[in-house]
Amino acid sequence: MNNGIAVVLVVEDSPLIRMGAVDLVLSAGYEALEARDADEAILILESRSDIDLVFTDVQMPGTMDGIKLSHYIRERWPPVKLIVASGATILEESNLPMGSRFFSKPYDDHTIKDAMARLLSSEISIGPSEEPFR
Amino acid sequence: MSKTPTVHFEAASTLAVVVSSNEPLLFLSDDQKVIAASASFCRAFEIDPATVPGRRLSELGNGEWAMPKLASLLTATASGSAHIEAYEIELKRPNQKTRQLVVNARTLDDGDIDHIRLLVAVTDVTDARAEARLKDDLVRDKAILLREVQHRVANSLQIIASVLMQSARRVQSEEVRGHLQNAHHRVMSIAALQRQLSTSTGGNVELRTYLTQLCQSLGASMIADPGRVSIQVTVDNSAVEADVSVSLGLIVTELVINALKHAFPDERSGTIVTDYRSSGNDWTLSVACLWGAMHPRRDWGLALSRRLQRT
Repeated sequence: MNNGIAVVLVVEDSPLIRMGAVDLVLSAGYEALEARDADEAILILESRSDIDLVFTDVQMPGTMDGIKLSHYIRERWPPVKLIVASGATILEESNLPMGSRFFSKPYDDHTIKDAMARLLSSEISIGPSEEPFR
Repeated sequence: MSKTPTVHFEAASTLAVVVSSNEPLLFLSDDQKVIAASASFCRAFEIDPATVPGRRLSELGNGEWAMPKLASLLTATASGSAHIEAYEIELKRPNQKTRQLVVNARTLDDGDIDHIRLLVAVTDVTDARAEARLKDDLVRDKAILLREVQHRVANSLQIIASVLMQSARRVQSEEVRGHLQNAHHRVMSIAALQRQLSTSTGGNVELRTYLTQLCQSLGASMIADPGRVSIQVTVDNSAVEADVSVSLGLIVTELVINALKHAFPDERSGTIVTDYRSSGNDWTLSVACLWGAMHPRRDWGLALSRRLQRT
């Protein structure tokens, strides 16, 4: 949260889709950050403590794909909400950390906005936070 | 086992059958001496037929058939304590590739109980196995390729959808925005079909799931107040070819967009009913608007009926 505005980190390797996703986040009234892959996303998450939600692709170059990244984030920054999108339709939410949402590509902007609003307004705690800044 | 000093002669017919067997076949005495070997056996395992009769199995060729495992199985078969059915062994020969063999053995039942003899069929399955493995590999490669293609299609559709939505948000003109949003709906309609196809087997599209998903996605993006206007989908168990479903999907997209835009002016409430049913080659697709309780049911005049001519 930054000045009362939720901060969303978009992780997507395709520049065009990333631009679209950032635009979607901004049009929903949130602050948008962007990363090209999981490693960049982790660097950003380490550098600031105001990120509320990560919206990530699954298939990406680098050391982790979006599924591994989402588990890593849940492990290390438990309060951060997660939305995962992929071109593969077979993926089920059961492969993802509890409480995260999955959407297949192409996703509908309204559906994503709706999911973001729900996740960001939910007060469900996922576990004791170890992050002292939150 | 009785040991008779007299020479035992096999029936000529038995020997003829063994020798001419198309499947590699051995005819053995109970002490595993070769009485006869089929020509196919000698050919398959490169053994000179002239050297075969009277020789021990373990002495055939260069001694490659001296396999303790095989010998003990044959002894057990001769004594009646075991059956060899499709037993797999490896034949190892110097400077040659190991061959995978399937062995079937049984005692010959010709009424002569004093002389136990064995019929041993040996099938070389090396090539068949390799072929099966190759086929498995090909099937796996195909599956990976298909997944990759589906993934790329989904990503490409995402790029188009994202660009259209970005433009729609930027543009000043209300009319142009409408066009861009409609284009976006059409892309999403194709995407819903793509998703449906990637999970279906055989390439036929189950219309109920497809049209329901399609209308849900249209409703999610176009209906501001779900309490006022809703979309209902009633479809029978029809499944159609992918090509046909593309057309049906686009028709439903256009009709539902039209209905959402024009059928509920002035905060009017109601339901859009998308209905599809077929019987034989005939099918009916209709998109109707049911206005709130104050109005009697009235079809909005958008019923399409077509006869599919299958040749």
